Amino acid sequence: MIEFKDVHKWFGELHVLKGINLKVESAEVLVVCGPSGSGKSTLIRCINRLERIQKGELIIDTMKVHDSKANMTKLRAEIGFVFQQFNLYPHMTALQNVTLAPMKVRKTPKKEAEDQGRYVLEKVGLADKLHQFPAQLSGGQQQRVAIARGLCMRPKIMLFDEPTSALDPEMINEVLEVMRNLAREGMTMIVVTHEMGFAREVSHRVAFMDFGELIEIAPPGEFFAHPKSERTKLFLSKILTH
Amino acid sequence: MWGFYIEQLIHSLPFFLKGLWMTIAVSGLSLLAGTVIGFIWGIVRASRSRFAKPLIGAWVDVIRGTPFLVQIFIIFFLFPEIGIQLEAFPAAVIALTNLAACFICEIVAAGILSVPLGQKEAATSTGLNWFQQLRYVIMPQSMRVVLPPLVGQYVLLIKDSSVVSAIGVSDVTRVGWLTVQRIPQGLLVFGLVAVLYFVICYPLIQLSNRLEKRMSVGYTRGKE
Amino acid sequence: MLETFNFRVILEYMPLFLSCFFATLWLSGAGLIGSFVMGIIACGMRIGRFKLLSRIAYVYIESIRSTPLLVQLFFFYFGLPSLGLRMSEASTGILALTLNSGAYMAEIIRAGVQSIPHGQVEAAVSSGLNYFQRMRCVILPQAIGVTLPPMLGQAIVLVKDSALLSLISLPELTRAGQIMTSERFMPAEGFLTSAVFYLVIYYFLKWLTHWSQRRLIYMQT
Repeated sequence: MIEFKDVHKWFGELHVLKGINLKVESAEVLVVCGPSGSGKSTLIRCINRLERIQKGELIIDTMKVHDSKANMTKLRAEIGFVFQQFNLYPHMTALQNVTLAPMKVRKTPKKEAEDQGRYVLEKVGLADKLHQFPAQLSGGQQQRVAIARGLCMRPKIMLFDEPTSALDPEMINEVLEVMRNLAREGMTMIVVTHEMGFAREVSHRVAFMDFGELIEIAPPGEFFAHPKSERTKLFLSKILTH
Repeated sequence: MWGFYIEQLIHSLPFFLKGLWMTIAVSGLSLLAGTVIGFIWGIVRASRSRFAKPLIGAWVDVIRGTPFLVQIFIIFFLFPEIGIQLEAFPAAVIALTNLAACFICEIVAAGILSVPLGQKEAATSTGLNWFQQLRYVIMPQSMRVVLPPLVGQYVLLIKDSSVVSAIGVSDVTRVGWLTVQRIPQGLLVFGLVAVLYFVICYPLIQLSNRLEKRMSVGYTRGKE
Repeated sequence: MLETFNFRVILEYMPLFLSCFFATLWLSGAGLIGSFVMGIIACGMRIGRFKLLSRIAYVYIESIRSTPLLVQLFFFYFGLPSLGLRMSEASTGILALTLNSGAYMAEIIRAGVQSIPHGQVEAAVSSGLNYFQRMRCVILPQAIGVTLPPMLGQAIVLVKDSALLSLISLPELTRAGQIMTSERFMPAEGFLTSAVFYLVIYYFLKWLTHWSQRRLIYMQT
């Protein structure tokens, strides 16, 4: 479904992605972890072309993202993106946030879009918050609206960029719960996160990135119990002792 | 023909420079007095006083809600009616000082109120009295927030000083107005006047911008 | 002085004051609309991709900001005839107000647009919205919310600036005071009445600012 072939990216002089080779299958849940600055956020931001790659190939479901002529509108409609900072539109209610894209991009009529919107908001547990503004919602609720916003387009892929990093501890679980349900339903997901519990339970594979390189990738059992690289071991030791 | 006008203009240059000096004099005096009064009023406005604070607030609001031209006409024509004979220059300085004080008062009050309450509490806990708190703890910290808009306000006041030409003060705007009666080349004459103001104001604006950048260093949050 | 304050004369001149009040309103209003349009154009040039346009806009904005409105007004009033342009006082006045205020509007709009967190653009892009859809649904509504209070502040400034138009003999509120001074030697009654009218406009605009801020309170992220 998603394929990185020898992908490189530079930010000016800084080489942020060094020869990434990665294949993600349909219905797979991949967790990407690594220290700050390892390029993991950049990696998923390349998938919906929030960042452009300079070398290599990035193919999503036969569409070549690296090609300038690619129809990004069509592609982005199939990909849902959840940001660390939620990025909900503050001047719109939860329902409006969720239905904006379906109405404008897929040209769904308003009534139908609102029905879909109600459905996804119910799914993330916010059926009673349809007409509230982001400022009236807690962080966890806002992030769940953000997930609903991505889901309302009925995407094939959901990308999560550190979805719980900006949340207070007591709200992390409600968001992870939604993500767990999504995974159970067979959504293709790539999640950049530090939540190792989630990685262990839900993911099919865990990938470790450091300094722009994909160091190691393995199913969670193997990854946590028998990390192969020294750098992976070092990272895990730091992150698992708290 | 343009050459003739430019020649005449160059002959008039000394008058323009005298006018410029007058502009600087009126502005300078008013800014000085206005700053002193403005700071005092600002400190009162940031306090919890029950009479002076709303009183000054009402006065500042009136001054900010009416055109300076009207204020200067009122002062110029009003004082003789209550018996004080006033010439153009003192009337101008009084009016501009009042204007300066009102705007500076708001800037200073905002600056003082921007200092976190914890600072005052810490100072009180160590036994400092009200005046010492202000002088050693509050004011130095509020300067960070006050200085850039203060310099910006100075620029606005220097530009406002052009209005005093309406009551006959011979500032550089009035010299332009008088000159254009003789040399009917409005573009050249007021182009020159504009350049003279520009030479004073533009550097001050740059200073204000630079101060704003310097003052926010160290207080910006890390990652965003 | 209060005993000699002649209210009867003020009442006599009330028709003049009222017509000048409306003159002030429509002159300021025309200036507001003109400067809003001017501001959008100048801001678009300033933050656009073409360096030449950006530089032209920069020169325009900085020249306006570093010179007094009165000088700009006289520049047009005395200068345009020598170029063969005969404009009415009202047109000259509105032109000066528009160009002056337009520069400040441009900066207000620029600050507003640039204050929208980049994350908003990214979220909109990620959903597949194109440039116009982003602008119309996400960026501009938020920009309007952010720029409305400073624009109302600029409206207040415009009303006060319009007083200078009295110096090119335009009938408006300040001129009414001048007329009362020259015809009846009653500057106090004249200008204080003008001042009261200006304060009416001022307090209305202040109230409008507070009302709009309360309406837009959900915008506080």
